[in-house]
Amino acid sequence: MSVFLLQLINGLVQGGIYALIAVGYTMVYGIIQLINFAHGEIFMLGAYFALILVTATPLPFWAAVLLSMVFCAVLGMLIDYIAYRPLRNAPRLSALITAIGVSLTLLNLARMLWSSRQRTFPDDSKPAIFQSKIDLETGEVFNAIPLPDGAILPYTDIFIILLAVVLMFALNRLVHLTKIGKAMRACAQSPVAANLMGIKTNQVISVTFAIGSALGAVAGVMVGLREAIMPTMGYHKGIAAFAAAVLGGIGNITGAMLGGIIIGLAEAFGGGYISGGYKLAFAYVIMIVVILIRPSGLFGKSTAQRA
Amino acid sequence: MQNKLTPKNIILLLIVCFIPLLLFGIDLLARLLFDNFGIDLPIPGASSILRILALTGLYVLLAVGLNIVCGYTGLLDLGYVGFYLVGGYTVGLLMTRFGFSYWIALPLAVLNGAFWGLLRGVPTLRLTGDYFAIVTFGFAELLYQIVKNEEWLIGNVNGMVNDIPRASIFGIELDQNLYHYYHILILIALVVFVSYRLQHSRVGRAWVAIREDEQAAESMGINISRYKSLAFAVSAAIGALGGAFFTQLQSNLAVEVFEFWESILILCMVVLGGMGNIRGAIIGGIIIGSLGEVLRIVLGFNPQLADARFLIFGIILILLMRYRPDGLVFRKT
Repeated sequence: MSVFLLQLINGLVQGGIYALIAVGYTMVYGIIQLINFAHGEIFMLGAYFALILVTATPLPFWAAVLLSMVFCAVLGMLIDYIAYRPLRNAPRLSALITAIGVSLTLLNLARMLWSSRQRTFPDDSKPAIFQSKIDLETGEVFNAIPLPDGAILPYTDIFIILLAVVLMFALNRLVHLTKIGKAMRACAQSPVAANLMGIKTNQVISVTFAIGSALGAVAGVMVGLREAIMPTMGYHKGIAAFAAAVLGGIGNITGAMLGGIIIGLAEAFGGGYISGGYKLAFAYVIMIVVILIRPSGLFGKSTAQRA
Repeated sequence: MQNKLTPKNIILLLIVCFIPLLLFGIDLLARLLFDNFGIDLPIPGASSILRILALTGLYVLLAVGLNIVCGYTGLLDLGYVGFYLVGGYTVGLLMTRFGFSYWIALPLAVLNGAFWGLLRGVPTLRLTGDYFAIVTFGFAELLYQIVKNEEWLIGNVNGMVNDIPRASIFGIELDQNLYHYYHILILIALVVFVSYRLQHSRVGRAWVAIREDEQAAESMGINISRYKSLAFAVSAAIGALGGAFFTQLQSNLAVEVFEFWESILILCMVVLGGMGNIRGAIIGGIIIGSLGEVLRIVLGFNPQLADARFLIFGIILILLMRYRPDGLVFRKT
């Protein structure tokens, strides 16, 4: 029972993180039909930026997270401006190859700057609620909810799930209620028509990149709190998140959120009950099966919802 | 590739064949200089250069193979390394477990590669663009995970296969870099010949027709499924051939060799040369393949930098797509 509960929580937390990354893929694809391979690397850089800010400067943790979001948003827009925008009218394969090139460049830049070593946030830099531990002598639990069988549920996990839900809700409202959200939906339906209606398509695309990248940065920090920060994290988590976007129907934001949760749970339960070594493979299998059997994803793709 | 053996091509061929002789000549000269005059020329030995050349040749082979799917049918294959893996492990396991001779294991590996190419190709026949790319990527990653995890199949953790015997021919064991060089040269000649003959046949024209407009090609009576499957099988078979040769170059296998980035490296070669162009694939393979090896050696003083040498290939991809989307070698076929 306890194993089940732990895997469930683990899956939900992973799923929340995947959902945060997946919306970055899906929003960009919804508008310019490009698989932004570099998104996983932006997520990785978000974690590194925050780590550097908290270790090298006296900034508090939350300020570092915010700055990292801003930094990634700018980076996302910059990548779009430098690499993707000149290819807007080129064949789609060219843009896809460019995206792979950007991803390769950023990954190896991170390797060059910070080596392939795994890092974590030092304990004194984290806010108290993220420092869960058990006192081995008294069995007292700090910053975590004790579960039966001596397991604990750290506040970090609860926080990540809540944060993912809040951000997803905010994004949903943004897309459906604000003017820029309306512009994004219009561009997703037809960039040409949107342009004719006076919407500055390029600006909307920039904003889309910025929002996706900022959410990616948050996800990066969350992974850094729970697991480790290393250059290849963007690649592994990025693929799982992309699988989530495909599963939810690429271009569909709500679908990406649900897809993230499903992939997270599938990995947790598959890894826990079937084989731990194949943890990564579940996302690949789901992705391939969805593309072969139902390319529009589980939740279809009504153009009205796409953005 | 010219159609005939023009004098220019014959000279080129002779140069390529006699490179080892030249290298050993330089080696001899350097030794004479050192023995008689005490001058120590700072040049690497012929054997190590031949090894780099053999490895570069391997990449040329793979680039020519990938060119068939990427260039002729215009589909982006992000999982080519999967077939390379299939070939490598087919030969590795057949030779170490069942004591097969290399010359029997090699054709079996090629057949196995073609089989996997069809296995992947048939379900993906109707996919295009991004979706095809993603499925090919996922397929290669799955193979990677299987080799990494299934100890009963490989017999060792992390896909390690050790002490793969060398092939021998007329009782001579092919264990020198000199032999590897000629070995890969013959394989490249074979693959280029096949690829060239295919390109200039009915099949090649059908492929290009499919690439340019699938619907128009179909209405002209081209059997799309058949020609696409053929492209997948031939391309995969060449990838497996590369893997088979790799076992001879390294004599052991580890799954890390077959990471996703290797696919991208090969793609980079094809893109550099210009997709759909055999000569381009060869030149791209030579440039990128040797650049990778030279960088690994030059940056060897700092493992962190050597680790990050793929940075250059990322930048090359971005710049090429921006300024030379048809590659450095023109004349699109």
